Amino acid sequence: MKKIFYYTAFCLAVAAGTSCSKIDNYPAPSDTINGSTVDEGTGNTVQTEIGGGGTRVKLLETSYSANPVPEYFQSKQDGTFSDDKIFAATYKVSVEGPFVPLVQTDASGNVVSDSSQTVVLKGTASLKFKVQPFLRVEWVSKPVFNADSTVTVQVRITRGTHDPNYQQDVTNINLYVSNTQYDGNNNYDPRYSNLVSYNGSDGTSLLGQVITITTTGGAMPAQDVYFRVGARINAGLNQYNYSTPESAKYP
Amino acid sequence: MKRYKYILLAILVSASACRKINIPPPNIISDEAVFSSAAGIQAYMSRIYSTLPIEDFRYSPQRGLNFFWIISPTPATTGEALSRDQTGSMQENIGGWNWDMWAGCYNEIHDCNYFIKTLPAYASKFSADQVKQWLGEAYFIRGMTYFAMVKRFGGVPLVTDVLNYTVGGDVTPLKIPRASEKATWDLVDADFTYAMANLPAVNADAADGSRANKYVAAAFESRAMLYAGSVAKYNNITLFDGSHNQLCGIPAADATAYFQKAYDAAKMLDGVYSLYLKAWSATDKAAQYQNYVNLFSDASSPENIFVREYQYPNSVHGYDAYNVPRQLIGPNGYSAEVNPTLNFVEMFDGLPKNADGTLKTLDATGHYNLYTNTMDLFADAEPRLRATVILPGDVFKGQSIEIRRGIYTGAGTSISPLLPAGSKAQYPTTNLVTAANNDLNNSNPYTLPGGGQMKPAGASGIFTGDQTCAISGFSVRKWLDPNLPTAQVLENNEDQTWIEMRYAEVMLNRAEAAYELYSGGGSASLQTDAFTLINQIRSRAGANLLLSAGSMTIDTIRKERRKELAFENKTYWDLKRWHIFDKEQNGTIYRILMPFYSAQAGKYFFDARYDERNDVYTYDPRWYYEQLPGEAISKSTNVIQNPGY
Repeated sequence: MKKIFYYTAFCLAVAAGTSCSKIDNYPAPSDTINGSTVDEGTGNTVQTEIGGGGTRVKLLETSYSANPVPEYFQSKQDGTFSDDKIFAATYKVSVEGPFVPLVQTDASGNVVSDSSQTVVLKGTASLKFKVQPFLRVEWVSKPVFNADSTVTVQVRITRGTHDPNYQQDVTNINLYVSNTQYDGNNNYDPRYSNLVSYNGSDGTSLLGQVITITTTGGAMPAQDVYFRVGARINAGLNQYNYSTPESAKYP
Repeated sequence: MKRYKYILLAILVSASACRKINIPPPNIISDEAVFSSAAGIQAYMSRIYSTLPIEDFRYSPQRGLNFFWIISPTPATTGEALSRDQTGSMQENIGGWNWDMWAGCYNEIHDCNYFIKTLPAYASKFSADQVKQWLGEAYFIRGMTYFAMVKRFGGVPLVTDVLNYTVGGDVTPLKIPRASEKATWDLVDADFTYAMANLPAVNADAADGSRANKYVAAAFESRAMLYAGSVAKYNNITLFDGSHNQLCGIPAADATAYFQKAYDAAKMLDGVYSLYLKAWSATDKAAQYQNYVNLFSDASSPENIFVREYQYPNSVHGYDAYNVPRQLIGPNGYSAEVNPTLNFVEMFDGLPKNADGTLKTLDATGHYNLYTNTMDLFADAEPRLRATVILPGDVFKGQSIEIRRGIYTGAGTSISPLLPAGSKAQYPTTNLVTAANNDLNNSNPYTLPGGGQMKPAGASGIFTGDQTCAISGFSVRKWLDPNLPTAQVLENNEDQTWIEMRYAEVMLNRAEAAYELYSGGGSASLQTDAFTLINQIRSRAGANLLLSAGSMTIDTIRKERRKELAFENKTYWDLKRWHIFDKEQNGTIYRILMPFYSAQAGKYFFDARYDERNDVYTYDPRWYYEQLPGEAISKSTNVIQNPGY
């Protein structure tokens, strides 16, 4: 025992005497980038889903390197974003999501348009990105309970862009049901949500019309739930555009 | 005092001077030792073959390559099957793998490059043919490794020479940026083409298909070029770097050239290999079934092109332990991890179908059809289906595999469906006797009205509680060894050979490439060629033959491929390269088939329904290009991440 003790003590003494004495006293990042992604046609923020399948903010720290490794943070579901743990530096900022890309390249990789914003971050920077969403999903009639305890909603879906590169057919129009407001393609109750895929131009022909969707799976359980309608076109990473989440009170 | 001894020891250790010695370190094997004898080359080869990145018995998307524990099996990510341990779509979990996909591949590539660079210096010790073959094998393995990378990541940094780093030296030249996806596929093409030109028709060191020959290289060339052509034609994800290299995606105009290469390479194998037909008979379905079963275990099969051999105890797997039906469970547990979906089973011929192609379980009045035995529903099933999937009541290892969801105790005539069509709800509890697990099943037999007793569930399930059973109503049959004693059904105990490339795939590669060329404006003879090949596959399988070349679409060929190569870890990559993964798995809940025994009728009926667990499969389109490991980028900041990550 004694041997082990001395041996350990000796090793510790050697380690303590020779190890690096510098401490990491660099201040933690404390600057903030916040703002929103706004539909340039309506002025509303562009709804998205939380997690990796939704809008995110891309930061290029150009004061560090001419060709920096990008950093990202996710937008909130309602299209606003905020990150208060960023180092003070110069950033080229853009957003990526279910809208016409801010940085567009042609078929051979030339950048043809770039609406990124450059900020010299010191304190807080508030940014507003005006974008053209692929689709706009608007409530016509908010969710109502039917006599059989299913729920029916009405929405109108229109295109948010005239860009000829983003006029692909509508492939999916889904009514999501969830017991939290964080409703979306990555979070819904499969028993009641009504998911419809469309072939060819079948989905596109519904654009501009009032679309009525009812939950599936029979009577909803007796609890308050949230409803959201998502639709997408076959472009980019096939992300969904969403309506706002709406709750409905169980009758 | 002891402490002085330690202090003295410390002083001695720190004060001891170095003395130069000129003896080569005996624990480091020199080039001379490896490259001057055939045995040394054999050792080098066996190592680079053993780490060749292929998706074999030891692969799953969750845990990666060369890992023993396969409980989130690949077929449970593709819709071929359901597994209690896999509850949805997934991309490969590359960061969490035991075998590092990125660094591991570059180690493999380094070993090939080192071999290619070093062997010529020792060429005088061997015959010219030996040197040619070994170089061909090194190029083949490098091509396979780049293939494994490009199908996951798109374009990757191309290293074709040995990189050297001297400590303290400049690392800038080592920070190689990603090449375009096209350039990466073209390197795969070039390596396989070199191998095809230099390898002999029969590998002189191993003729059993465990090492490459020129036809092995050609077979993989057909697979790789078909993949590249599909990416060019169907991919719509693009990524460019600052110098206009297209890291993800290939211009659509290049599709034809790749399909042509796939077609030509596949054609090289014509007459060299053939479909396995040793026990086959044109008129006997039982023989067709047995033939298809034997195909996966006959070492002398003329269909085997490239195989990975296992040997107890050095290199083993546990396929049977994880996948035997519940009633044949081995001593260390597991069983029934791969349970084919009804969606998969419905692709096959010889089943009663509704107009929409789904399995017919109801009569014209909307009541269940009744069967004396569960196998009666499958009386005319395609032999290939029986050899691929254990159907409820079919015989395996001399036992009838009993799969039953429960006993229905309601009236025995005109039984109405237990749930409305398309329901995702739980079964009602009235009139149903079920079992939560095997023990409760054994201890609670139900007394039948006609006398006698019956356990609520079958011996292989379905158990509603622990799910260690055929949760889909089916159990996988392919690859299972019918002669393995139950006492030997253990993890890390099996040495059944993995067939990575068989001639049926080459035929399907050729048919698909031919049809793609034909639909891209090629001659009608290509369409006929595809038609003939598909019918050869169908004939061997005991399936219905196609009536005319004109009735064929690209979906006919794809469906045939999915049936023929099911549970061989190929469908995952096919769904990716066709870019239909996100359409097939788009809020998808797979369907299952639940057999019930009606106590009053004394007969069985089947309920087709959605997966009782309501597991939703949604494939994120970002996953068509895998996320590069973070350390690949932090080590070499010129490497750009794929879109969306």
